[in-house]
Amino acid sequence: MIELGFFYLFSGLAVVSALGVVLSRNTVHSVISLIFCFFNAAALFFLLDAEFIGIILILVYVGAVMVLFMFVVMMLEVNFAGLREGMLQYLPVGGLVALVLFIEIVAAAGSGVFSPTGIPDPGHAAQHVNNTVEIGKLLYTKYLLGFEIAAIVLLVALVGAVVLTLRVRKDAKYQNISKQVNVNPDDRMRKVKM
Amino acid sequence: MTPMNFPLPNVVPLIPEMFVAVMAMVVLMWDLFLPKERKHWNGYLAIVTCIVAGVLTMNVATAESVSAFYGFFVLDPFAAYAKLLIYAGTALAIIISLDYMKDEFGVGEYYTLMLFGMLGMMLMASAPNFVTMYLGLELMALCTYVLVGFQRDVLRSSEASLKYFILGSLASGILLYGISFLYGVTGSFDFAEVGAGLAHSGSGARFAVLLGLVFVVSGLAFKISMAPFHMWTPDAYEGAPTPVTAYMSVAPKVAGFVILIRVLADALPSLQVEYVTIFTWMAVLTMAVGNLAAIAQRNIKRMLAYSTIGHVGFIILGVIAGNVAGYAGVLVYMTVYLFMNMGIFAVIVLMRRDGIQGELLDDFAGLAKVRPGYALAMGLYLFSLAGIPFLGGFWAKYVVFIAVIEAGHLYLAIIALVFAVVGAFYYLRVVKYIYFDDKRVDFNFVENRLMQATVVVTAIAVVAIGIYPDPVINICKAAVSGII
Repeated sequence: MIELGFFYLFSGLAVVSALGVVLSRNTVHSVISLIFCFFNAAALFFLLDAEFIGIILILVYVGAVMVLFMFVVMMLEVNFAGLREGMLQYLPVGGLVALVLFIEIVAAAGSGVFSPTGIPDPGHAAQHVNNTVEIGKLLYTKYLLGFEIAAIVLLVALVGAVVLTLRVRKDAKYQNISKQVNVNPDDRMRKVKM
Repeated sequence: MTPMNFPLPNVVPLIPEMFVAVMAMVVLMWDLFLPKERKHWNGYLAIVTCIVAGVLTMNVATAESVSAFYGFFVLDPFAAYAKLLIYAGTALAIIISLDYMKDEFGVGEYYTLMLFGMLGMMLMASAPNFVTMYLGLELMALCTYVLVGFQRDVLRSSEASLKYFILGSLASGILLYGISFLYGVTGSFDFAEVGAGLAHSGSGARFAVLLGLVFVVSGLAFKISMAPFHMWTPDAYEGAPTPVTAYMSVAPKVAGFVILIRVLADALPSLQVEYVTIFTWMAVLTMAVGNLAAIAQRNIKRMLAYSTIGHVGFIILGVIAGNVAGYAGVLVYMTVYLFMNMGIFAVIVLMRRDGIQGELLDDFAGLAKVRPGYALAMGLYLFSLAGIPFLGGFWAKYVVFIAVIEAGHLYLAIIALVFAVVGAFYYLRVVKYIYFDDKRVDFNFVENRLMQATVVVTAIAVVAIGIYPDPVINICKAAVSGII
C-alpha cells in the first residue's frame, strides 16, 4: 500500500515536472525541471528493485548529460521566444495528432494486456540478489553482440562529433613553438656599426 | 564470488562483420600516418575491405540458416545476398568518392564512417531480433547523418544533415515505441518469438498490437523513404556531397528492405491483412509522390531523390505480394537498381567543373557531342530506370509486377504501370537534353580510371541483366526461399 502511494507520488511528480520542461518560459527552469523529472524516474526504478539502473540514470543523465545541457543553454543564449512564435500556427495539427495518439495509447493500455493479470507482478527480488552482478552477467553473455554494437555506435558518435566540429583554419595565425625555440640570435638581431 | 563460466559464442558467421569493424578502425588510425597527398590510399584500403568482406561472406555463408550469439545474429542466404549488394553499393560509392573527396579535410574519417555505416547495414541484414535491428539501424543512420553534413562549410550540406538528423531521430523514437508495444504483448525481442506470441495473443491485446504494428511500420518506412515519410529524402540527397548521395541511395535501402521483410515475415505474419492494407495505400502514395514530383525538378540530385521514392513504391509491391516471387523481386530490383543508380552518380561526379558537379539538368545538354561514351552510358541507365524492355530495369519491374498479380492485387500492378509510364517521361527528358540539345556550359571532366571503369561495368551489367536476367532471378529466388 505504501509502495502504491510512492508510485503515484513519483509518477505524478514526473508528469508535472515534464510539463514544466515544455511549458516554462525560462530555459534554465526547463533544464531544472528535466533534472527533477529524471530523479523521479530513477525513484520509479528503485521501486522496481532496479537500483543499478536508477543510480545510472542519476549519475549519467543528471550528472553528465544535464550539466552539458545547462552549459549549452547558458552559453549559446538561443532565442527560444523566437522559436515559439509559430506555436499557435502549428497547434491545431499538432494538438490533433497528440490527441489521437493519447486516445490510442489509453485504449492500448486499457485493453487488458498490460494489466496485472496480463503481466504478472514479479514480486521483490531476494535480499542477496545483486542487480549489478545480474546485469553484468546478462550483458556479457546473452546480450554480448548488442553490447559490442553499442560500443561501436559510441565510437562512431565520437568520430562524427570530431569530424563535424574540427576544422583547421588556413587564415589563422598560429605560434610555431619549435621554430621559436630553435631561433638563432643572429636571425633576430643585427649589429650595426655606427 | 564464484568464477563464472562463459560459453564462447559461435563467431564464425560474424567473421565478415568483425573484419569490417577492425578495418574501419585501421583506416581511422592509418589516416594519421599518411602524408596529405596520399590520403586517398585510405579509399583504396576501404575498397579492398569491401572486396575481402565479400569473399569472407561467400566463404562463411551456408545454404541453411546459421544462428549465432544466442539468437542475436543470423546468417542465411537472404542475408548473405543482401550483404553482397551492400558491399557492392559501398565499394562503388567509395570509388566515386576518391576524386571528389581528395581536397576535403578529414578524408580518413570519411572512409571510416562509410565502413562503419556498411557494418550497420550488414548487422541489419543479419538481424533476427529487434535489438540487433535497432542497433544496426542506429549505427548506419549515425554514419549517414555525419556523411551528409560532411562539407561543413557548405550551408546546404549542414542544413540537410540537421534536417535528416532530427527527422531520423524522431523516426527512431517512433520505431522504438512500436517495438515496446510488441515487447509488452509478447515479452520477447526475437522476431520468431514475437510472431508466435502475436499469433496466440487474444483479442484483448489487439489494439496494443495494432499500435505496435503501425509504429514499427512507420519507423521503417522512414528509413526506406516511403511516402508520407519521404520528406527528408530530397533535401538530404541534394545537400549531401554527391558520392554520399550515391551511398545513401542504394545500400541503406537494401538493408531497410531486408529488415522490413524479416519483420513482416517473421514477427508479424499474423497481421498480414492489416499490414498489406497499410502498405497498399502507402505504395500508391509513394509511387504518385515520387513520379509526379520528379517531373518538376531541375536539379538532377533532387530528381533522382524523387526517382528513388518512386522506385521504392515499385519495390514495395514485392513486399505486398508476400510470396517467394515477391521477396525475390525485391532483391532483383535492388540488384538492378544498384547498377543503374551507381552508374548515374559516377557520371554526375565525372562531370565535375570547378568544384561544381553537373547538378542541373541543363548541364547535361549536349553531352553526346562531347563525350559519346558517357552519353551512351547515361542513356542506358535512364532507359533502364524508365523500364524500357530488354534492359535490367525492365526485368526488375516485371518480376515484382508479376509477383503482385500472382498474389491477387491486379489493380496495384495496373496503378504501378501507369506511374511507370509517367516516370518514363522525366527520365527520357534527360536523354533528350543529352542527345538533342546544344551545349550550354563548358564541360570539364574528371579523368579517373576507376570511375570510368565503374561507368563501363555498371552499363554492361544493366545491358547483360536485360538480355539474360535468368541467373539473377534464380539466385534471388534461391536466396529468399528459406525465409518463408
